[in-house]
Amino acid sequence: MEIYVLVKQVPDPEAIVKVKSDSELEIENKYFTNFFDEIAVEAGLKLKEKFGGKVTVLTLDHRRVDALRRGISMGADEAVQITDPALEGSDPFAVARTLSAYLQNKPFDLIFTGRQAMDDDAGIVGPAVAECLGIPHIHSIIGLEVDAQKKEARVVREVENGKEVLICPLPALFTCQKGLHSPRIPLVMNVMKAMKAQIKKVDLASLGLSPTEVGAQASTIKIQKYLPPPKRPPVKIIKEDFPENVKTLIKLLREEAKVI
Amino acid sequence: MPNGIWVLVEHQDGKVKKISLELLSAGIEFSKKTGQEVGAVLLGSGLEEAVNSLTPYADKIYWINDTLFIPYTSEAYLAGIVPLVKEHQPSILLGGATSTGKDLFPRLAMHLQTGYVPDCTGLSIEENGKLTALRPLFGGKVFAEVGFSEVRPQMATVRNNVFLIKEHPDRSAQIISITPSMDSSLLKKKVVGFEKAEGTKLDITEADIVVAAGRGIKAPEHFKLIEDLADVLNASVGTTRATVDEGWRDLKDQIGKSGKNISAKLYMAFGISGAIHHVLGIGTCKTVVAVDTDPNALIFNYADYGIVGDLFQIVPALTEELKKVLAADR
Ligand SMILES: Cc1cc2nc3c(=O)[nH]c(=O)nc-3n(C[C@H](O)[C@H](O)[C@H](O)COP(=O)(O)OP(=O)(O)OC[C@H]3O[C@@H](n4cnc5c(N)ncnc54)[C@H](O)[C@@H]3O)c2cc1C
Repeated sequence: MEIYVLVKQVPDPEAIVKVKSDSELEIENKYFTNFFDEIAVEAGLKLKEKFGGKVTVLTLDHRRVDALRRGISMGADEAVQITDPALEGSDPFAVARTLSAYLQNKPFDLIFTGRQAMDDDAGIVGPAVAECLGIPHIHSIIGLEVDAQKKEARVVREVENGKEVLICPLPALFTCQKGLHSPRIPLVMNVMKAMKAQIKKVDLASLGLSPTEVGAQASTIKIQKYLPPPKRPPVKIIKEDFPENVKTLIKLLREEAKVI
Repeated sequence: MPNGIWVLVEHQDGKVKKISLELLSAGIEFSKKTGQEVGAVLLGSGLEEAVNSLTPYADKIYWINDTLFIPYTSEAYLAGIVPLVKEHQPSILLGGATSTGKDLFPRLAMHLQTGYVPDCTGLSIEENGKLTALRPLFGGKVFAEVGFSEVRPQMATVRNNVFLIKEHPDRSAQIISITPSMDSSLLKKKVVGFEKAEGTKLDITEADIVVAAGRGIKAPEHFKLIEDLADVLNASVGTTRATVDEGWRDLKDQIGKSGKNISAKLYMAFGISGAIHHVLGIGTCKTVVAVDTDPNALIFNYADYGIVGDLFQIVPALTEELKKVLAADR
C-alpha cells in the first residue's frame, strides 16, 4: 500500500502569539508537529504494518523540516520537502495546488493529513488537494478499516448529532481527527536516526509550476489586518458565602449578562 | 448592484438548522446596504416544510430536489451546487462551520477557483458588495480580517451564534424548484450507517448554553450533577481532554484545541483548571462562568463571573435554585 501523509510543523498551542502590527505577528519560537498530522502519520503506519508498502511524509515548508523528521522517527520510510522562495505568502489553495502537482503522478492508494493545522486552523488543504487530484475525500475521520483487496475503506466520520459510517473507494484522501489513533512516541534511537535521514527536496520548477501560480499574487484571500482577541472585562468574583453566592450568580446571569 | 448573497441551507429530519437561519438573517441585513438579492440553496427531497419555513428569510429559494442529497456527501453536493453557481454567479456564498460546511466548502472553493475563509466569527460588507471576514487564528490568540481578491463567489463558513435570527415577514421568497440531472455513478462514497448520539441534546457547537466539568468532578458518575443542571437550562454538556482521556466522557463533547470550538451564549465551567488548550476553544463564548476550588485557577482569567468553591456544593444548589427561578417565569 502506497501512502502519503501531508505534515506541517506549527507553533505549539502554548507558544505566545501576538500582533506586532497590522500585517505582522510575533510568534514565539516553540514549534511542534501538528497534533492532527501525527495522528495521520499513525494511520499510515498502521496500514503499512498490516498490508506492507511504504509511507512517505510530505511537507510544503521553506524553513522547517522537523515534521518530516518526526514522521521518520515514528516509522515513515521517506520524507519529501517542497521548498521554494516563491511559495512564501501562498494561500491554502496555492499550497494545495503545489502539493497536488507533486502527488499527481504518484501511485498512491491513500493520502492522510490532519483535520486542520494548529496555526491558521483553516482545514482547507486536505479537501482542496483531493479536489485537484480528482479523488474522494472525507474530513475529520475517527474510524478507519481498509479492505486492500476490494480497494475500499470503511470510514467513521463525526457529525453534529452522531457518527456516520461511509464506504469509500481508494485512492482517497482522509483528514484525521483525535480519536482515530493515539500517535506512537518514537524511540530515542529512531529520533537520532531521523536527524540524519535523507530529505528529498523539490522545487517549483521540477513540479512544472511557475512562480506566478503560487505566492501572494496568486492568492484568492488576503489577510488585511491582524487584531488582538477581543478583551474580556475582568472577572467578577462572587465573594458571598454559600448559598448566597449561587443566588447572586443567577441574578447576574439574568439581569446583567441577560443570558438566561 | 452585485449579484446575490447565497446561503447553503442545512437541514436535519426535514427541518432547517439554526445556523442557516442565522446566516440568512445576516444576508438580509447586508442586502439592506447593498441591494443584493438573498438566496437560500437547499438540496434534498421531501423538504416541502423546510422550504416553506424559509420564505420569510430570503428573496429566492433554490431547492435542488433529489434523493441523492440525503445523507450529505461532498460529491453529490458538488454535482448539485456547481451548475447553479455557474449559472447565477452569486457574489457571496455562505455556510455554517459545521461538519458539512468544513467538508464541502474547501473542496467547492477549489473547484470554483475562488476564495474561501473558514470558521469565521464575524462578517461585514461594503456597499459595493465586498465581503470582509473575521476569523480567529492560532486557536484565537489573534484574529484576522480577511478580504477576497476579485474572484467570486466570496465564500465563508461561520460559527454558530455569531448572528441573530431575524424573520422578515415582509419578504416572501420565490421558490425555484430544480430537478438536477445527476449521474449517480459519479458518486463514489456511500453512507452506509449512522449511529445517533445518545440523548436529545444539541451538539456543543450548536447549543446556546454549554455547561462543562473537568477533572475536578473526580468520577464519571458525578457527571449526573452536570447533566441535571444542563436539563434545567436546556444546555449541552461539554468537558476537557482530561476526562475524555480517562474514558469518562465522549470525545465529541471535548472543548478546546484538539476538540471543538464552541461559541455559546453562556458557558459554565466546573472543576476545569483553564489550560490554554481548553480555553482556546471558548474564546468566542459570550458569557463565561467558572467555579473552581483553586482561587488561582487560570480559568478565572477567562471568565466573566467566578465563584471560588466546591462544585459538589455549588452545582446541585444552582440546579435547584434555577428550577425555582425559571418555574416562576412561566
Ligand atoms: C496538544 C495538546 C492538546 C490539548 N487539547 C486539549 C483540548 O482540546 N481540550 C482540553 O480541555 N484540554 C486539552 N489539552 C489538555 C490540557 O492541557 C489540560 O491538561 C486539560 O485541559 C486539563 O483538564 P481539566 O481542567 O479537566 O483538569 P485539571 O487541570 O486537573 O483541573 C481540574 C480543576 O478542578 C479543580 N477542582 C478539583 N476539585 C474541585 C471541586 N470539588 N470543585 C471545584 N473545582 C475542583 C482543580 O482546582 C483544578 O483547577 C491538550 C493538551 C495538549 C498537550
